[in-house]
Amino acid sequence: METTAAEQKYNFEVVRWFTVATVIYFVVGTFIGVYIAAELAWPFLNFDNPYITFGRLRPLHTNAVIFAFGGCVLLGTAYYSVQRTCGVRLWSDKLAWFTFWGWNLIIVLAVITLPMGFTQAKEYAELEWPIDILIAVVWLAFTFNFVMTLANRKTSHIYVSNWFYLGMMVMITYLHVVNSLAIPVELFRSYSIFSSVQDAMIQWWWGHNAVGFYLTAGFLGIMYYFVPKQADRPIFSYRLSVLHFWALMFGYVWLGSHHLQYTALPDWTGSLGAAISFAMIVPSWGGAVNGMMTLSGAWDKLRTDYVLRFLIMSLAFYAMSTFEGPVMSLKVVNALSHYTDWTIGHVHSGALGWVGLIGAGAVYHLLTRLWNAEIYSVKLVNLHFWLATIGIAIYTIAMWISGIMQGLMWRDYDEFGTLTYTFAESVAAMHPYYVLRAAGGFIYSVGGLIMLYNVVMTIRQASGEPRASVATAQA
Amino acid sequence: MDSIKEYFHTDWAAMTLQDWLGLGITVAVFIVMIALYVYVFHPTRKEKLESHKHIPLDDDEFTLYKSERENRK
Repeated sequence: METTAAEQKYNFEVVRWFTVATVIYFVVGTFIGVYIAAELAWPFLNFDNPYITFGRLRPLHTNAVIFAFGGCVLLGTAYYSVQRTCGVRLWSDKLAWFTFWGWNLIIVLAVITLPMGFTQAKEYAELEWPIDILIAVVWLAFTFNFVMTLANRKTSHIYVSNWFYLGMMVMITYLHVVNSLAIPVELFRSYSIFSSVQDAMIQWWWGHNAVGFYLTAGFLGIMYYFVPKQADRPIFSYRLSVLHFWALMFGYVWLGSHHLQYTALPDWTGSLGAAISFAMIVPSWGGAVNGMMTLSGAWDKLRTDYVLRFLIMSLAFYAMSTFEGPVMSLKVVNALSHYTDWTIGHVHSGALGWVGLIGAGAVYHLLTRLWNAEIYSVKLVNLHFWLATIGIAIYTIAMWISGIMQGLMWRDYDEFGTLTYTFAESVAAMHPYYVLRAAGGFIYSVGGLIMLYNVVMTIRQASGEPRASVATAQA
Repeated sequence: MDSIKEYFHTDWAAMTLQDWLGLGITVAVFIVMIALYVYVFHPTRKEKLESHKHIPLDDDEFTLYKSERENRK
């Protein structure tokens, strides 16, 4: 279809804005992460300024990368792919713009309130109650617009990527509302209606499912649309994708309790969480293999198509993280790994490797379609890919070594039953790995900066000339 | 063997309503997943299910109304 005709048929403008916002937030969010990583290595970087201490900037970093970058790429790609797979324009352009400005207003409010110290102290749900209500309103508007677009579709079947987006929308609504239930006492202060171990269980029911439904199911929606499109080949097995979807929806909700091994939570809940976590390797690997095997018979595309490299490498990290997570949930491993940097390494192999790389791949794909232009520099796409990959490797390996060393130091005791090392000694031992973590994160972030430059230059040179279907390397 | 029996020992009399509900849901989900597996991988459904995988690649075709597509066929 000619781009102009598609332009009239679909609402691409809101997707363009989400795409640009995605790249900006990617750069900002990762550089805040680099700064706080540097603060841990060189604490003087706090400059005795309360607004830039680790405790306040850390939630800003996580909110920026998860909700600003992650949210914009999810909303943008969902709006794009639902239109293309259903053959209809978004149900409401006004509602789509409301979600764009509403989501960005939430991000601005986070940037203001988190450094000021306003927080509910719930991980990945730090924002205070008025912002929580705004999140629910904007999210429901997004969901309603998506559902109504599906209802208006020209096709008899709803393609699997839309199922994953829809699963994310339903579950995140449920999780966000329940976890955020609180009694407000001031404009920016409230107390959770849950207390004690119930509060911890609800928090990690939310915490792990934010990973499971937002950062996994949502991004699998991206995978099931953008991998076949970029590869120009259908998904390896549609039947496997159906099984992948339902197994994920039924399985993920059980996992939260594995975050609370060896706590006041009943022992059996942790065992159940670990058992289902292990079972989840099957659908997760099924999905990863399904995405990778899409290239079956056409692996040579990886040699020339740098955008496809992002998408396929992200699946490798998806497979790796979804194996590592269940292993860490086992009590015998958790006894060593919990509260250590190993967890940080695990989270970042998933966040930087799976979420970051597939998000970048989707952005590069959209760039050529939405602006009807060739990518400004394919070499820079390749440079971004290698910087990202090397940065992740340095980051995660440093955290694995640091975390296992921490765990071993904390549990070591002498013949008198006294701890061999003080906590301060274990902190001092971490220093080289904290430096390496900051370096790995910096390299990864520079890759994001290169993507921003490439995106800006591509948009600037967009001329409306017909484009090639894929961004391939020049021989 | 005794230790395994001990490990899996359950005091059924102590089960609360919530416990029974949880157990019921767990078993039901397990059965539904098996039924889904059989449904999805049954050979007779292969052609129908796999035909959907071309949707993203044929998105131009899917911009047509159903009647238009049928006319093309």
